[in-house]
Amino acid sequence: MTEIGEKKELPDVFIDPIDMSELDRGFRKEIQSMPNGEELSACFACSTCTSACPIANIWEIKPHQLIRMIILGIREKVLSSKEIWLCLTCFECQERCPQGVRVTDIFFDCKNLATEEGMIPASIVALGKELIEKGQLYTVTADWEREDLDLEPDVPGLSTDAVKRVLGSTRTGRLVKGGR
Amino acid sequence: MSTYSVYIGCSVPANYPNYEASMYKVAELFGLTLEYLEDVACCGSPNLRAMDYWGWTLVNARTLAIADSTEHDIVTPCNGCFGSLKDVYHLLKSDTDYRNRINAELEREGLEFRGTSKPRHFIEVLYTDVGLESIRKKITKPFDGIGIAIHYGCHLLRPGDVTEITPEILSELVRVTGADVVEYALWKQCCGATVLPVDEALAIRLARDKLKSMKDAGAAFATVVCPACCNQLDLQQLGLRESYGEQFDLPILFYPQILGLALGLDEDEVGLGMNRVPAKPILQHFSK
Ligand code: SF4
Ligand code: SF4
Repeated sequence: MTEIGEKKELPDVFIDPIDMSELDRGFRKEIQSMPNGEELSACFACSTCTSACPIANIWEIKPHQLIRMIILGIREKVLSSKEIWLCLTCFECQERCPQGVRVTDIFFDCKNLATEEGMIPASIVALGKELIEKGQLYTVTADWEREDLDLEPDVPGLSTDAVKRVLGSTRTGRLVKGGR
Repeated sequence: MSTYSVYIGCSVPANYPNYEASMYKVAELFGLTLEYLEDVACCGSPNLRAMDYWGWTLVNARTLAIADSTEHDIVTPCNGCFGSLKDVYHLLKSDTDYRNRINAELEREGLEFRGTSKPRHFIEVLYTDVGLESIRKKITKPFDGIGIAIHYGCHLLRPGDVTEITPEILSELVRVTGADVVEYALWKQCCGATVLPVDEALAIRLARDKLKSMKDAGAAFATVVCPACCNQLDLQQLGLRESYGEQFDLPILFYPQILGLALGLDEDEVGLGMNRVPAKPILQHFSK
């Protein structure tokens, strides 16, 4: 941190200029065509979403900046950012946006696009693997606890086959099989 | 009285039979019939939504379609399941194209989403269908005004236009038992559960900040209505002694355990011995 009184050399430019040729103009439309993405263009960059976010202080790229980058078409940087995967999905940003931009939902859309391009944390793929192989995320390990409470020993009504069947034919199945 | 189709999820039955049992016992006292939905799939959690939106909507639409055939509303005790089911329900109700695509897939399983059966959280059924007055009349062992902090859980309250749940629902339900609701600064903040697989240290810090805020505000107990939140606040609390050198000793109870006790159920019936941070001190706080 800069000490008080210490002279600081100012850089020539504060922000690296955007290289227009690297922008993906279709990115905005791509997100807008995804579920809950329509309101994206209504963003007027007030940064209320960032103020509402409990962890934006530790993010290099803040929520309002991610939204602005989507609008401008800085696709690669958004989809490869670690921030979209650190999002708590707490919806505080979305709830406070005065323009009705569905910020958290849009970050979900970004994670889907990132996944499609293979940019997904291994720990999330591992959860997909659980779903494909076991058909559930949690399994009963202490059935005596259930029996003590007069509950049936296994998870009631759960069809593990249904999960395996449905997700086996969607992106989750492809991810787990092909590593992508 | 009314019958409901229960979507229990996998986390509650696997990790918190005390929540499941207390929910069933409380429902029975109010004459509600809870029937487990059969042949339903895991909701997949927000992590499935992140990697495979289409797959996530499809498994949850399938559950909603199965519930439609029972002609009862779906009730769940888990915020994660509730968030998934309610979000997909909202999407399919408002987006006809998407619904048609989903129904084309479901047809292969002989199912159709119609949206006649609404996904609801168990606490909202208590609040709306049973009602505070009926609950008040049945309270035989009210609490003595002991301070309870509420952790609502993100996917219970937000996005509000989808969940249609307001904080008053749970705070009124806590007050009706004779307990006092402790207000604390970080009441809205996330427990950290969703980020656990990606950044464990961050998830633990969020849980720790939450517990500290509750404790600083004078809470003697806290209540949750979600198994994932309970993992974070109850189970992780034990680990905080090592990682942060902090011991909060803040018992975390599922709401139906608190209500059940006030309705006269005994500690074993609500599975009080299974709570990780010992919760029995609450038995010292009946007003009579
Ligand atoms: S709160 Fe809404 S309008 Fe303001 S910067 Fe964030 S997304 Fe844009
Ligand atoms: S949903 Fe994500 S971006 Fe929005 S406030 Fe929560 S953590 Fe921040």
